[in-house]
Amino acid sequence: MNTTVAAERSRSQPLRLAALLKGERLTTLNLFATFILICLIFASQSDFFLTLDNFLNVGRTLGVVGIVSIGMTMVLISGGVDLSVGSVAALSGVVTSILWLQADVPLGLATVIGLGACVLVGFINGFFVAVMRINPLITTLASFSIVRGLAFVLSSGQTNQLSNPAFQFLGRGDVVGIPASLLLMIALFAAAFVVMHFTQFGRNLYAIGGSAEASRLAGIAVRRHLLIVYTLSGLLSGLAGIVIASQLASSAPRAAVGLEFTVIAAVVLGGTSLSGGKGTLIGTLVGVFILRVLDNGLVQTRVSSFYQDVVSGSVLLLAVGFDQIRQKLAAAVKDRS
Amino acid sequence: MFRKLLSIIVVVSLVAGMLLPLTAFAQDNATCATAQDSYTIGFANLTEDIVFTQLVRDGILSAAEEAGNVEVVLADNRLDGATALANADNFIAQGVDGVIEFQTDEAFGNVIMSRFRREGIPVIAIDIPMPGATFFGADNYNAGRLAGEALAAWVNENWDGDVDALLVLELPQSGPIPAARMQGQIEGLQDNLTVPVAEDMIFLLDSKNTQEESFQVVSDILPTIPDAEHIVAVTINDGTALGVIAAAEAAGRADQIMVVGQGADPSGQEAMLAENSRYLGATGYFAENYGSYLIPAMLDLLECRPVPPAIYVDHVFINKDNLCEYYGESWPDACPVS
Repeated sequence: MNTTVAAERSRSQPLRLAALLKGERLTTLNLFATFILICLIFASQSDFFLTLDNFLNVGRTLGVVGIVSIGMTMVLISGGVDLSVGSVAALSGVVTSILWLQADVPLGLATVIGLGACVLVGFINGFFVAVMRINPLITTLASFSIVRGLAFVLSSGQTNQLSNPAFQFLGRGDVVGIPASLLLMIALFAAAFVVMHFTQFGRNLYAIGGSAEASRLAGIAVRRHLLIVYTLSGLLSGLAGIVIASQLASSAPRAAVGLEFTVIAAVVLGGTSLSGGKGTLIGTLVGVFILRVLDNGLVQTRVSSFYQDVVSGSVLLLAVGFDQIRQKLAAAVKDRS
Repeated sequence: MFRKLLSIIVVVSLVAGMLLPLTAFAQDNATCATAQDSYTIGFANLTEDIVFTQLVRDGILSAAEEAGNVEVVLADNRLDGATALANADNFIAQGVDGVIEFQTDEAFGNVIMSRFRREGIPVIAIDIPMPGATFFGADNYNAGRLAGEALAAWVNENWDGDVDALLVLELPQSGPIPAARMQGQIEGLQDNLTVPVAEDMIFLLDSKNTQEESFQVVSDILPTIPDAEHIVAVTINDGTALGVIAAAEAAGRADQIMVVGQGADPSGQEAMLAENSRYLGATGYFAENYGSYLIPAMLDLLECRPVPPAIYVDHVFINKDNLCEYYGESWPDACPVS
């Protein structure tokens, strides 16, 4: 009897090890460890890195990437991608400023309409991906270009000043000392976390990302889910655009250029798979913090901007590469057992 | 008789002296292979996405219309050397008489120019020199210096010449031209401050030519200079300057900063006019006037009249005090007609 139990135990040990190695918790723990390590390195190089002022500054400046990365995580988990997020962010600021400054629409209503335009773009993306079944990369690459062009057409290429203190609160203000944009980002992360982990909708997204066809056969309304997820991504991108306009007190059609790459980097760094079906919002949140803290620390330690790009890219490659090695190791351990 | 003969000789000489230049001109025009009654000029813009280049395009079109005998064919180089080369080939195919090139990639300059040279098409290059082309554009170092000097004068008057930190919002990836602009600003400031800023308090920050990046890097650097009460910033353009100001405002340190920039485009002008503005001003490049230099210069080239190898814009430092003089029509509320 004892021999059988021992044999069972010895057989199950490699499986447990494989499960542990493959687990998302370990990915998140790795990320936390990387984040702490980066913080320690910068703290040893700059007396100002671990100060309250700097903490608030980092909090104030990561909201944009953080908010967009929530939508991007959901889109990637569903097996898609959204390259239009930067252009959509620019559109929300441009529409808001034009309605407010040129059409005398009250600022609150102008902001709502600006966000509405972004929801529409997200919905159109979702329609082409889910209903027309056009590859999401192609669809959102097209909308990336169309929406940016629209932003230029609407604004005639001009930057508009938005010098309204109430409007600037979201990007610059704080609530009991904590930046408002950081609080907004955390609240959105919390809501998205609940949706992804405690609702049928969230679980379905993972299933769709794993296999859309199998999900359809299992009775999941794939099209509806994809429509919702792209629309949500449009809304969150628009919200990020409002945060940018609020921070800079201006809107520009060139705003958020390259945002899609930063956001995808943060999400992938956080452990979300580009092939869908896998990823966590906590991982994304840590990924967002890592990229922002890297930029912050490199600027404060006066590293040349050319090296900053090299370092950011290397960290992304190392983190993702390390994770791939770990997963292959897990697969090997499982096969051997 | 002798007097009569002398008078005739004098009169004939005078008449000949007066006619000679005209004859020479007629001869020049006859030998000037590119001279015609009307011309088609190609203008390849740097990009159509920014205000500055839109103003350049509009200025060229309006100067061409004024000239009366010039038709302009437009192209967009989209900030890309390969596109500029394709546009150059299109211009040749369309049989343009002369070309005004505004393109960013120095490496493509040689190739583009070899095509135009082969066809005998004269070229004027805006802002980025191309081998064999007449250069037209900003006098970058001096433009920068004007802004630096203005900032130093303000600091000497308002902060007793005392500066704790200098933020330099540059654009290192774009090579020597923006670098000359930045060098001019730094030297214009340092040479004129009562006490120059210490080397270790000069922060070189990559603006990446965007307001957001400028906002972020300045937000990152401000916590490292918590004791600095007098901070100045020199910037590559108006957008970058506005990003610096936004960062200082967000950090609650707007009253500790004063900023100068380059360009004086409408967004910069609006910021200068704001109450308690931290944007002292910007060197004007007058993009809208480029056409009034470029079209006559191109006509000179086409009609074989001498043209200097480089033509520079006359820069002026634009601030709240002289804005109405240059851009009064754009700001009717701030600049009432006297």
